[in-house]
Amino acid sequence: MHRPCVTLGVTPQMKKISSIRNTHNLALAIALGMATPLVHADDIDFSGFLSVGGGMVDDENSLPYGGYDEEDFTLDDNLLGIQLSGNVAEKLTATVQLTARSENDYEVDAEWAYLSWQATESSKVRAGRLRTPFYMYSDFLDVGYAYAWITPPREVYYLPFNNVNGVDFYTTATLGIFDTSFQAYFGGFDDELDLNGDDIMESASTRNQMGIAGTIGKDWWTLRAAYHQADLSVDVTGIAVPVFGTLGGFADALTNLGFADNANKLLVDDDSVTFAEVGLNIDTGRFVAAAEYVEFDPEDALLSKNKRGYVMGGVRFGDWLIHLTGSQSRDEASHPEAGIPVSPQTAPLIGALQAVAASQVVERDVVTLGTRWDVTTGTAIKFQIDDVDDENQGDQQVYSVALQTVF
Amino acid sequence: MKTFIMKRYICALAATLTLGMASATWAEVAVIVHPSTGFDSLSEDDVSRLFLGKSKSFPGGAQAVPVNQNEGSATREKFNEAVCKKNASQYKAYWSQLVFTGKGTPPKDAGDDAAVKALIAANPTMIGYVDSSAVDATVKVVYKIP
Repeated sequence: MHRPCVTLGVTPQMKKISSIRNTHNLALAIALGMATPLVHADDIDFSGFLSVGGGMVDDENSLPYGGYDEEDFTLDDNLLGIQLSGNVAEKLTATVQLTARSENDYEVDAEWAYLSWQATESSKVRAGRLRTPFYMYSDFLDVGYAYAWITPPREVYYLPFNNVNGVDFYTTATLGIFDTSFQAYFGGFDDELDLNGDDIMESASTRNQMGIAGTIGKDWWTLRAAYHQADLSVDVTGIAVPVFGTLGGFADALTNLGFADNANKLLVDDDSVTFAEVGLNIDTGRFVAAAEYVEFDPEDALLSKNKRGYVMGGVRFGDWLIHLTGSQSRDEASHPEAGIPVSPQTAPLIGALQAVAASQVVERDVVTLGTRWDVTTGTAIKFQIDDVDDENQGDQQVYSVALQTVF
Repeated sequence: MKTFIMKRYICALAATLTLGMASATWAEVAVIVHPSTGFDSLSEDDVSRLFLGKSKSFPGGAQAVPVNQNEGSATREKFNEAVCKKNASQYKAYWSQLVFTGKGTPPKDAGDDAAVKALIAANPTMIGYVDSSAVDATVKVVYKIP
């Protein structure tokens, strides 16, 4: 007579277990369909993220910011990412993360594609295309659901290279009561970027790029530091400048005048550059805070020395998070004119070089007020106002909204 | 006949009580492992580190595989709030920081109290949590959330 009671208790679980299997099989089927080389993998993890967003600016005659330049609301900051991960052999995992962005006409890109070897229980070696660990939020930059803002502060998260083709080593350890992690990588990357916002893409590359990143934390806080160096080349010769036509023409003219060193400083050709970061992240459950400071040193390249940082604080009220962020760019111009003897004849030349260097400087303050509303587990809706105060380009306000999910 | 009705009544009462306890926030949650494991208790920190992927082994060095209850389960909510100090959304956000970087995989969702208990009873490497009313001799309780 006890049996009916027991049976009633068991049946729902059986159903749950079989529905888990079904989901798993579906994921497997999708994964297999998309990645045929992984046919022999017996367990493929499928996960993904989605961000649908839009925004508008307050004054379309002032500077564009955050990808927005119209006073009319546009819903075109969209991103879909899927990740497939499966074991190809014991301790060997293949992972690919494919993203499609509205800004690239939804062209599918592999942002991550690597083989990972679990060297020990706490360390792994990865080879392939990896995310460069420049920043605290680099690893999950595209996964808006993972952080408070719609995108991390743009003043600091400005580097065009997000990925690197190479190898890395990642390890975690417990030191006393602290949790630590350490990552080191080596590689290079080729990309195209728009250096001066004129919609003309300059081809760029890094070689001998290497870096280290470490974190230490406990429960509600994490400290991070990173250092990177690379031989950077950016083809800036096509950038338009007054009198000489292009930067390439300007550099040739300088060489002809006997100022080859200065011509070299005008270009970004195999220049040894460095990038350093320190960051702090706090999450007590009720309060959140984050701060990062970065410095990019271009050495002998035309680019400016970038000094940028932000501080964020927020409070959670149930499913709502309200946060305020102050970010700052205080770049310093490079000195391509250094070494040219000052005379009435060289004054226009020096002036032109200083003007080119000054064009690479950003001096800007941005105050961001935002909310994150966790609608359900796995989905957040965010609103954000950015108040931009640019030393050279004027003021702007950007209003944006996004729905971000993980699945 | 009387005993039959009586037993049915007790059975229904038990079911009602169990349901009531599962949804009430004061229900005790027990963290359980296989009875053969070589330790009898874990600290809250030990359990939290296992379920947040910060540690992958039991005291003594044996491999530890944490398993969750399904999303939406009251036991899971209580466990995450009390041990991991995260509500459902914060827990999801925490793991999405690791999943999309290849730096970690969240504990698998293994079902409800009975399903988790059955898994733990059959796997010496696993650790899970159930409502303490579900605990029996097939598993060992190593930490309790009051």
